Amino acid sequence: MLLVLSAEHRAHLGCLPRAGGAAVGELGRLALEQLRRGAAPRACEAAARKLNIGVDTIQHGVEGLTYLLTESSKLMISDTDFQDSIHVLGFSDELNKSLLQLYLDNRKEIRSILGELAPRLPSYHSLEWRLDVQLASRSLRQQIKPAVTMKLHLNQNEDQTAQVLQTDPATLLHLIQQLEQALGEMKTNHCRRIVRNMK
Amino acid sequence: ILDDPDLKDIDPTVLKHCHAAAATCILEAGKQQADISAIRHLYTCLEDCKLDKERIEQFCTEYQKNKDSLEILLGSIGRSPLHITDVSWRLEYQIKNNQLHKTYQPSYLVTLNIENSDSGSHPDVSFSCTMEQLQDLVGKLKDAAKSLERATQM
Repeated sequence: MLLVLSAEHRAHLGCLPRAGGAAVGELGRLALEQLRRGAAPRACEAAARKLNIGVDTIQHGVEGLTYLLTESSKLMISDTDFQDSIHVLGFSDELNKSLLQLYLDNRKEIRSILGELAPRLPSYHSLEWRLDVQLASRSLRQQIKPAVTMKLHLNQNEDQTAQVLQTDPATLLHLIQQLEQALGEMKTNHCRRIVRNMK
Repeated sequence: ILDDPDLKDIDPTVLKHCHAAAATCILEAGKQQADISAIRHLYTCLEDCKLDKERIEQFCTEYQKNKDSLEILLGSIGRSPLHITDVSWRLEYQIKNNQLHKTYQPSYLVTLNIENSDSGSHPDVSFSCTMEQLQDLVGKLKDAAKSLERATQM
């Protein structure tokens, strides 16, 4: 699958051949930092001074590289596709090779960063449980009522919530049976076939 | 009670008093878990109130008949943390999202149906988890069940 680069994008990346080999490494590093931590104008200014190029050009170059890397990682394009996609830019072979290397080295990390942007439901973190027996209450003395009290820890967008829940032994066994069935589903032929064919 | 044809002839205030008294008596007996010895206690208590033998017998027999349902009713009154009544689950296989293509990840969506004794139902608790996390959850629930079993054998 080929990446389509817009005219503006190509213009931004156009500064790369002029900048030279060392600059490409520097810009690549800046692009990755931008992906990890967000835009850093000071770092761009420092790079501009060191490489003797205008700040705006550096900024555009970094942004262009960032976009190139994220799009390629998102679509998980192969080496050949990547090379064919940047071929239109008309760069030297050396430059193409260093760009490809940059992509391959950092693809996994970029994909995990992008993975965190996906919409998410509260996700399971852990469960604590406790066995209780109710012996008496205001309305009834001399009881024996077993119950399992649980604290369910969930993660929602980096907040941890804890919820206290209770259940009786019969429901507990029912829960276990149902969830074991759920786990078993992944191992059925149907699911295995789909997983195999989707790759 | 006020609409009952058999009781039409009695003064409503007296009727209400009787009803309230009988109800209180039954509740107190039920609360203290009246077993055989306590039934006798109830018996003597009613004797002190100068009811004749036949009526006392009738009262106690009726009480015995309904004792169990009374116990269950009284036991269900009271506060407790949100109670899980059921669970539903959904298995999905993620292919892509708008930020990342070719994700190929299975994930489970589990919903716990919750009932609140005070205010009827309560929004259900839903969460997503991976296969490993679900295995962890099931493992912990099984530990709880095992300790329950051990406790009953003690």
